[in-house]
Amino acid sequence: MARHALRRVLLALAQLVLLAVLVFLLTSLLPGDAADVLFNDKAGTEQIARLRHEMGLDQPPAQRFLDWAKDLVTGDAGTSLTGGQSVSGIVAHSVGATALLAGVTAAIAVPVALVLGLVTGCRAGGRLDRTVTAVTLALSSVPDFVLSLALVAVFALKLGWLPSTWIGATTGDLLTRPGLLVLPVVVLLARTVSQLIRQFRAGTLGALNSGYARHARRLGVPRTRLLLRHVLPNAAVPGVQQLARTGDALLGGVLVVEAVFAVPGAATALIDAVRSRDVPTVQALTLLLAAAALFLNVAADLVSHRLSPRVEVLR
Amino acid sequence: MSGHTAQPPPARPAARGSGGRAGTARKKGAGGAATTAVAAVLFAVPVVTALFGPLLAPLAEASGPGAPYALDGRHPLGTDGLGRDVLALLLRGGGSTLGSALGAVALAYLVGGAVGLAAAVSRHRWVDELLMRPVEVVLPIPSLLVISLVGVGRHGNAWAVTMAVALVNTPVAARLVRAAALRAAAGPVAEAMRMQGESRLRVQLGYVGGSVLPVVAADVGTRVTGAVFTVAAANFLGLGMEPTAPDWGVTIAASREALLVQPWSVCAPTAMLLMFTVGLNLLGDRLLDRRDRRPPGDRRDRRARVPVARKEGRT
Repeated sequence: MARHALRRVLLALAQLVLLAVLVFLLTSLLPGDAADVLFNDKAGTEQIARLRHEMGLDQPPAQRFLDWAKDLVTGDAGTSLTGGQSVSGIVAHSVGATALLAGVTAAIAVPVALVLGLVTGCRAGGRLDRTVTAVTLALSSVPDFVLSLALVAVFALKLGWLPSTWIGATTGDLLTRPGLLVLPVVVLLARTVSQLIRQFRAGTLGALNSGYARHARRLGVPRTRLLLRHVLPNAAVPGVQQLARTGDALLGGVLVVEAVFAVPGAATALIDAVRSRDVPTVQALTLLLAAAALFLNVAADLVSHRLSPRVEVLR
Repeated sequence: MSGHTAQPPPARPAARGSGGRAGTARKKGAGGAATTAVAAVLFAVPVVTALFGPLLAPLAEASGPGAPYALDGRHPLGTDGLGRDVLALLLRGGGSTLGSALGAVALAYLVGGAVGLAAAVSRHRWVDELLMRPVEVVLPIPSLLVISLVGVGRHGNAWAVTMAVALVNTPVAARLVRAAALRAAAGPVAEAMRMQGESRLRVQLGYVGGSVLPVVAADVGTRVTGAVFTVAAANFLGLGMEPTAPDWGVTIAASREALLVQPWSVCAPTAMLLMFTVGLNLLGDRLLDRRDRRPPGDRRDRRARVPVARKEGRT
């Protein structure tokens, strides 16, 4: 287990380095660099050239990458091109709300999906199973932003039960106004839970029909014990692996949800930075969010290895 | 009267006992046909709109621009915030969303499929490693992050969105194709063909390549749905096309504050997206159902017969 974990973490570190290269390549080597953006094409070429020299943009790409990476490791992600604040400050300021949204969603999604997946898997074809399957299928056909708009229209605008935006609110206000969290989390749950339920259900079905479950039943192992000790760990494996891939849906959802509800989080900061072509901020935030997805992946791999050691990591 | 009502009950169990199975099977078939028809219509409406809409759009624009968010007789679906005809926007806006999504999935399967197939049929392990390792590095990167990275340099470009979505889907396609090809190449049919002295090209491309196709077909539906979500979300968030472009996602985002004033401007493009994804999901499910409903053993038999039957047909 320890060796396995070490290998997996080393692979993740390698992935992180490659990710940094990819982020740098996609953003820094584009025509129109930071100096052009700062001066908005109005300054003379001489002025731009001087600024480019000051910012180190006239260095060869490899040198620039190393400088950028060195600063990043020491916690200095550069200066925002639009506001002039430090990028680390922007990141530190915005990350809390995003982490809170994702954390609350995961804390609700995993137990709910595990229970529903196990129950529907045990009674496949039953009424509950059919209902849950139909609902999850319907939910997975609705884009996040459509669901957000529909929920806002009904619960915030028509009924007035819940606030429709976080404008004016900070992360600290959540303790006094938990209503703010309800709609964003519901939207995030819709996609993640329906994906997870499907995997947990399939895992339960597979485990129940397996040779070892049949053998245990023949030996007279009580049903509860069979379910909890033998079926559950194996049934959870596809779900946990799906959880790693859920990072994509969750992060995509977070981007949409933060935009719709005006949450002051990392995704809102990222979208603003993309719109204003604030390259250093975009680099730092994408790297951070991708690293979060990577971390989720490693954690899910390690958990599924612990549950069922025969699952190979790399293939 | 009472005699009449007394008669049916004894008949019912008999009907259930003898013809019940056939009856439900027939009913299921009829319901299936109806669902397939509904799914086909749902799927066809947005596709036809996207294909032929731009030709019809001038008719809808003939009445000229109106007031912002107007709902008068001149514009069947009213106008948007800039006074443009919503019907015309709807007719023009499908191509960018559906085109980008379909193009991205096609590109992902072209590149990813070639990589996956090459990795699977290669006789050298290092080729497999070389081709698949990078794929695993790119796999956990969330799609909207790639879009924001690409979007920061090439704003308002449908091609950039297409390339970004393709980039995200390529590793998944490569892994899927590789796994399916390995299964086929290790199977008894490939072995039999090798023992018959079939050329390597024929075994690998003709049989292994062909046996990957059903797996790809089963996956394409969900992949296109996901791509449509991603493209629409990117445009909705303003990471993709210009904020005034006639695109379904952009239109939804631009008119969302007028949801209760001029519901058509949001609901019409939303309905198009929903019809496409729901229709595609249902059609995909039908296809998978039909494949799964075949009696056990049939699939393997059919596959096993393919090369031999072809030979018999030729002689």
